[in-house]
Amino acid sequence: MDVTNLLQDEAILLDWAVDSKEGCLNALADRLVETGAVADKGAFLDAVLRREAHGSTGVGFGLAIPHGKSSGVVRPGVAFARLKTPLDWGSLDGAPVTLVFLLAVPEAEAGNTHLQLLAQLARKVMDEGVRQRLQQAKEPADVRQALAG
Amino acid sequence: MKKLLAVTACPTGIAHTYMAAEALLKAAREKAVDLKVETRGAVGVENALTPEEIRAAHAIIIAADTDVDEGRFAGKPVIKVGVSEAIRDPGRLIDEALAARPLDAQAVVARIEAEKARRSAERRGLYKHLMTGVSHMIPLVVAGGLIIALSFAFGIEAFKEQGTLAAALMDIGGGAAFALMVPVLAGFIAYSVAEKPGLAPGLVGGMLAAKVGAGFLGGIVAGLLAGYLTRWLKAAIRLPKNLEGLKPVLILPFLSTLAVGLLMVYVIGAPVKAVMDALTGWLQGLSGTNAVLLGLILGAMMAFDMGGPVNKAAYTFAVGLLGSNVYEPMAAVMAAGMTPPLGLWLATVLAPKRYTPEEREAGKAAGVLGLSFITEGAIPFAAADPLRVIPSIMAGSAVAGALSMAFGATLRAPHGGIFVLPIPHAVGNVLGYVVAIAAGMVVTALLVNLLKRTAANGTSQETDEEKTPASA
Repeated sequence: MDVTNLLQDEAILLDWAVDSKEGCLNALADRLVETGAVADKGAFLDAVLRREAHGSTGVGFGLAIPHGKSSGVVRPGVAFARLKTPLDWGSLDGAPVTLVFLLAVPEAEAGNTHLQLLAQLARKVMDEGVRQRLQQAKEPADVRQALAG
Repeated sequence: MKKLLAVTACPTGIAHTYMAAEALLKAAREKAVDLKVETRGAVGVENALTPEEIRAAHAIIIAADTDVDEGRFAGKPVIKVGVSEAIRDPGRLIDEALAARPLDAQAVVARIEAEKARRSAERRGLYKHLMTGVSHMIPLVVAGGLIIALSFAFGIEAFKEQGTLAAALMDIGGGAAFALMVPVLAGFIAYSVAEKPGLAPGLVGGMLAAKVGAGFLGGIVAGLLAGYLTRWLKAAIRLPKNLEGLKPVLILPFLSTLAVGLLMVYVIGAPVKAVMDALTGWLQGLSGTNAVLLGLILGAMMAFDMGGPVNKAAYTFAVGLLGSNVYEPMAAVMAAGMTPPLGLWLATVLAPKRYTPEEREAGKAAGVLGLSFITEGAIPFAAADPLRVIPSIMAGSAVAGALSMAFGATLRAPHGGIFVLPIPHAVGNVLGYVVAIAAGMVVTALLVNLLKRTAANGTSQETDEEKTPASA
């Protein structure tokens, strides 16, 4: 099993226009509801925003990895957006963000394979080559391939 | 080549922990540095660092926003940053770690002080309440014990002469300081449980415990009773808004003190006194094998976790007994608490080649801390090699405790290490006491060096390198 199992085509948004961090999170959460990963969107978004308040998840390199652990999540899932216009995410390096991964984790999920996969995803995007392929992806399949490779 | 270690952790443990780990590994690869990263995320601890790896490491990078069990690194240079720092600038962290200088004795002492503070801040629940009470009681016992010893300097019976300085000193030390011991113990246990409203019923309960002769056991019972009762009352009593102000100033102190007082007088005082009398009677009549056995057990407990809960249990037991005029366990406990760091210092002096230069520095620090009865000085050694060090120091401490009891050594002050020895009458049978401590040190040192040598037969590479630094 690899990380792309958690990232379905419906949850991949390419060159997508949005004008705020909240709007971006909201739309990505909608996608996770559609794919069935999230049942209670409100509870899930609460957890995500609480995590953001703790310190921005904008890690630099134009990348943000917001995430939430909540009982509103049914099974682990990932949504991805490449933004048309870069957004300010309060990032560590001050630069705006174009790549956003939203991770959803159920409350009662400890030590299983899905968490390992999310960890793998976090490790992958630290690689510049992977980020470049994400920037150049033309369709959802390219995104999945970049992360699988 | 210098080996580096790192630990990454973040509050949710889903993304940042792993990104930081990856960033550090990448930077290390680019610089051709040997690095291992332990991740503490939602999956649990992965790639855990072993004591051997920590021992061999040049420095450790901690990139974390949560607790990462830092006690393990007590003897090592540590670069500590938030987790995002490692994602943003991993290269700089690697450079900093490479440039880190090995800790000298002074730095080890500072690290151990910090570790002690961290441990006490981490205490929770019953253990925390007890230790809050004990730590507030200790200064009274130190002052009282030493001032009584000063009175004895005029002659053991001198205080019986009214109006003399000896009598005044006995009144200060015994009549006031020691008399406050149990009330303060109970008061601050209750304070820890119920905050300010707990103090009054706790002090009163402790005073009653002391009056009926229920000693420190009565004090502990009274403190916990007062604390939990007050906490319950605080939550249970609901008043109209305009009367709420009366609760802390009138209702809580009155009701809680009355209830605790009545319970102490009519219900709890007598049975606890019976237990306490039986205990002190047994301890005072203790001689021969039983005394040695008690010394062995208390001694081993002191070394087992070096300042942790087991150590504190033995220590609290001995301090509490001072209030009931039983002084032998206190002597045994302090001797046994001094020998772990002292013995390890001796071990590094006897067989310097078996230890890295860093460990020899940690040995010097341990020596200083041991003289002052700070058992935590043994932690850098125990963290690096628990399976060989902890049994060795336990054996040494058991010997010190047992001999101290066998020689009938007594100690009137609950702290001070080597520095209370010259104070007249603070220690009974000083010569026997010094022999007990020295024997414990020697046993610790010989045993740990013996175990280290057996271990080194298989993996002697490291120590050989140390012997010939010119070839490196």
